[in-house]
Amino acid sequence: MDLKQLKKGAEIGISLIKNTSDLEKWRIKYLGRKSILSLFFNSLSKLSLEEKKEQGQKANAIRQLFSSLYKKKKNDLENNLSVSSDFIDITQPGEKTYQGHLHPLTSTLNDITNSFQKMGFSIIEGPEIEAEYYNFDALNIPAGHPAREMWDTLWIKPTTKKEKSKMLLRTHTSPMQVRFMETNKPPFRIIVPGKCFRYEATDASHEIQFHQIEGLMVGENISLSNFKAIIEEVVKDIFKQKVLVRFRPSYFPFTSPGVEVDIKIKTKTKSQKSKSNDQWLEIMGAGMVHPDLFKRAGYVTNRWQGFAFGLGVERIAMIKYHIDDIRLFFSPDIRFLEQF
Amino acid sequence: MKFSYNWLKDLLKFKESPEKLADILTMHFAETTVKYCGKRAILDVELLSNQVAEASGHLGLAREIGAILEKKFIYPKINLKEKNLNTKDLLNIKTESSNCNCYLARILQGVKIKESPEWLKDALADCGVRSINNIVDAANYVMLETGQPLHTFDFDKISSKSATVDKKEIIVRQAKKNEKITTLEDEVYDLSEDIMVIADNKNLLALAGIKGGKESGIDKNTINIILESANFNGVNVRFTSKKLGLRTDASWRFEHNLPLDLTDYAVDRLAQLIQEVAGGDILKDKVGKGVSKKGKTLIPIKWENWEKFLGWPIKKKEIIHYLSLLGFSLQQKKDYLLAAPPCFRNDIKIKEDVMGEVARLYGIDKIHSVIPQEILAIPVQNEFFEFRKQTKDWLKGYNLEEVYNYSFISEEDKNILPNVWQQKLIEIQNPTSALTKYLRPTLLVNFLKNINYNFRFVNKIRFFEIGKYYFKNKESLKEHFVLSGVLAQKEKSNNSSALFYETKGIIEDLFNRFGVDKDNYSFKSLESNEYSLLLEQGTAIYKDKDLIGVIGIPKEYLLKKYDCEENVIFWEIKLLPLLEIVKEEREFQSLPKYPAIIRDISFIISQNILIDEILNIIQEASPFNLEDVDLFDVYVGENLSSGTKSLSFHLTFRSEDYTLKNEEVDKEMQKIYKVLKNIGGEIR
Repeated sequence: MDLKQLKKGAEIGISLIKNTSDLEKWRIKYLGRKSILSLFFNSLSKLSLEEKKEQGQKANAIRQLFSSLYKKKKNDLENNLSVSSDFIDITQPGEKTYQGHLHPLTSTLNDITNSFQKMGFSIIEGPEIEAEYYNFDALNIPAGHPAREMWDTLWIKPTTKKEKSKMLLRTHTSPMQVRFMETNKPPFRIIVPGKCFRYEATDASHEIQFHQIEGLMVGENISLSNFKAIIEEVVKDIFKQKVLVRFRPSYFPFTSPGVEVDIKIKTKTKSQKSKSNDQWLEIMGAGMVHPDLFKRAGYVTNRWQGFAFGLGVERIAMIKYHIDDIRLFFSPDIRFLEQF
Repeated sequence: MKFSYNWLKDLLKFKESPEKLADILTMHFAETTVKYCGKRAILDVELLSNQVAEASGHLGLAREIGAILEKKFIYPKINLKEKNLNTKDLLNIKTESSNCNCYLARILQGVKIKESPEWLKDALADCGVRSINNIVDAANYVMLETGQPLHTFDFDKISSKSATVDKKEIIVRQAKKNEKITTLEDEVYDLSEDIMVIADNKNLLALAGIKGGKESGIDKNTINIILESANFNGVNVRFTSKKLGLRTDASWRFEHNLPLDLTDYAVDRLAQLIQEVAGGDILKDKVGKGVSKKGKTLIPIKWENWEKFLGWPIKKKEIIHYLSLLGFSLQQKKDYLLAAPPCFRNDIKIKEDVMGEVARLYGIDKIHSVIPQEILAIPVQNEFFEFRKQTKDWLKGYNLEEVYNYSFISEEDKNILPNVWQQKLIEIQNPTSALTKYLRPTLLVNFLKNINYNFRFVNKIRFFEIGKYYFKNKESLKEHFVLSGVLAQKEKSNNSSALFYETKGIIEDLFNRFGVDKDNYSFKSLESNEYSLLLEQGTAIYKDKDLIGVIGIPKEYLLKKYDCEENVIFWEIKLLPLLEIVKEEREFQSLPKYPAIIRDISFIISQNILIDEILNIIQEASPFNLEDVDLFDVYVGENLSSGTKSLSFHLTFRSEDYTLKNEEVDKEMQKIYKVLKNIGGEIR
């Protein structure tokens, strides 16, 4: 028999083996009792003594080689050193799972409402299609009042010819101040999140629709100082990073006095200082509730006082996520949505 | 509004830099920024609506800065050298309209029209006003100085009172029907009776408070002039200006109800300035309807109110100090303060206004923050709000992206909609463009636009939105929150049924998460429902007899219109009715006492037989102890003849009264095999 041929076949065979069961098959084939090598040893008895000695030595060497190959391979397989189908490459990326994303306005709204809820404010909601009375007149902004200019309005086309009260798309969430007080007695603290609309030419910072959160807290002793404290707490809670808050005078016909609140993100390094970061950004109009509103709600005069505010949700989201164009919120683009 | 920094400095003699001044104004008055016109600093003050009457002139703003800087401001005194000839001998003013609060006129004779001196031109340029000639510029300058709009007429162009009397007459009246006026800029306006005009006996001279007329304007040959200083009703001026679409600096000022006292001071100041820049003689006195002295507004404020309202202890001395700086007259009583606002502050009406002024001057930013000492109370949960929030969170988990679309649809969108849908649209009276003409009656239309746009970037779209749709019901306007969404896949070859089942699965799972049992709602065909005009195939979700939502494939005409001829599944579910179902009481069911026996069954059956029918048939065949039937596998394809499907169910048998025996269940199974064979089922 050709021992050289046998040796070569066995060597190739064992190099391809990747698991122990194949190795066992190999062992039976090359080292088993019925292996070619065993049969060869058996056949030696028929040879002359000299031939027996020479061939026997060669075959013995091969048997020793085979057993050592076998032992090494067995050892390798058991210690997982050669490639196996069960092998885990811990550096390979994991299988992807898919999740959608909440819109940044939703997350921002949730953050803000959560903060106010922690401070004991209840959430109330109101209609987007609103009567002129609640949007304007009840807030001390009768027709002809110059302050109406502050709220460019989208009006609803009347459905019938008989002019009842004119309807519009609410320009702010403030109508809910009067609506709520008509049916509720103080003390209370509420917030009113909702969609609002303005007649507006859209650009990077103006939109025809936007969201506001109205706040109203009324009691016997709710003061301007209280307003300041509540807003400072909430702003701190919303922007986990530190922000500066600034209060300055403003005017709204349904407040007295009126206040405007600005914020500015604290930046430590120069590289963080972009233009938008270094400016005071207006986030809410506010003030002490005008006593005319209490009168309209039928409250006893001179007993109740409190504050109200209107917070711009888009504004907060834009500051929080460094979004520079308000129109991105309402033009669903997968490349934008997936980022949140 | 633009103010010249140098002008203010001349009036008040302060030391603050333009930037410092802008800061102070922002924190105590109104938002102010600094701009430069060459080397001259300009303050751009965003006057608040209530501040226009008080501070739209440099004098007013200087007075305000004086109060903030605690620097006494003194109004410049005017000394006029008047001629002996009296104005009333040459001019008569007739005020017929009740919209005219006061109207004063002076006459200057022998003026010389020419270019303005440089200082005057510069001052106007700083405030963004174009120079015309010395007379017009002087009038604009005094307006910028005092806040009072002024007008000048050419005396010789005004007609006489009558043919017999050689005396000019100016009439303030409402316009007549069909009257027209040509303004200085040659624009012609048609007037109506609700518009106030200035006229003589022949012509219209001006639109009161808005714009001068061409007939009476100053030109290069003018020698004698009439100065007008008047106060018109703000609402009427605003109305006219809106109606004619003509807004001017003057109309903007009048809209804000200027103080009446300004007229007198301003007309004298203008006479003085014109004499300075154009020469001429000032006639004695002024004519017209003067200001009737009003009693002062007195506002009593209890001393105890201050801390209660503002929130920090503030001393009487401080209160008096700040209010005096602002020009209030004060009387201190034992229990209260009697505050009278100065005549130029007609925006101060109630005690809160007065207390607010003190806070403003003190600095709202500096006041103490005090957490309110209120009763601790857990806020009332807003069920509907929380429900929507939870829904969004769960939908996100189904790999859906949340979007916010516009609440509007366009004229073009309207035209594609079926009649029934068109009729219930709510229309906007003054849309910003054709794109925002109607409120959306369904979220479908805008979603279809999203698909087309986003297929530029991806092949698969999974969007949802929770928002309102709007519609008209007879005369009432309705708005409802809905949960809508789309699943869309680019290749048409992929069958849309898989996408439909996926959507249905999401909806079912969502309902299940809210604990809504399948017994509480049902899927029916679209049939007569108005969504059937929008959807080709699909299902309607019902709670008893009420439609609460739909799932389906948009009709071909819609897909074509919005260029998304792909696989699209849309759904829309009314949220309030869904919440009602979620809120329905769920009772605990006692745990089963006896074990169940579960058998599986698989059979091949025609695809035309609906799963619902099969479920019903199985239930009817074994009405007593069959607890649950659960479809766990549907197979269509290789090895099955076309038009058939293979279905596999788990059947759970249980008795409430005893342990079922295998033989009993075998019997039940035989019944079920039989009915299934009856409808063509081939048991495997």
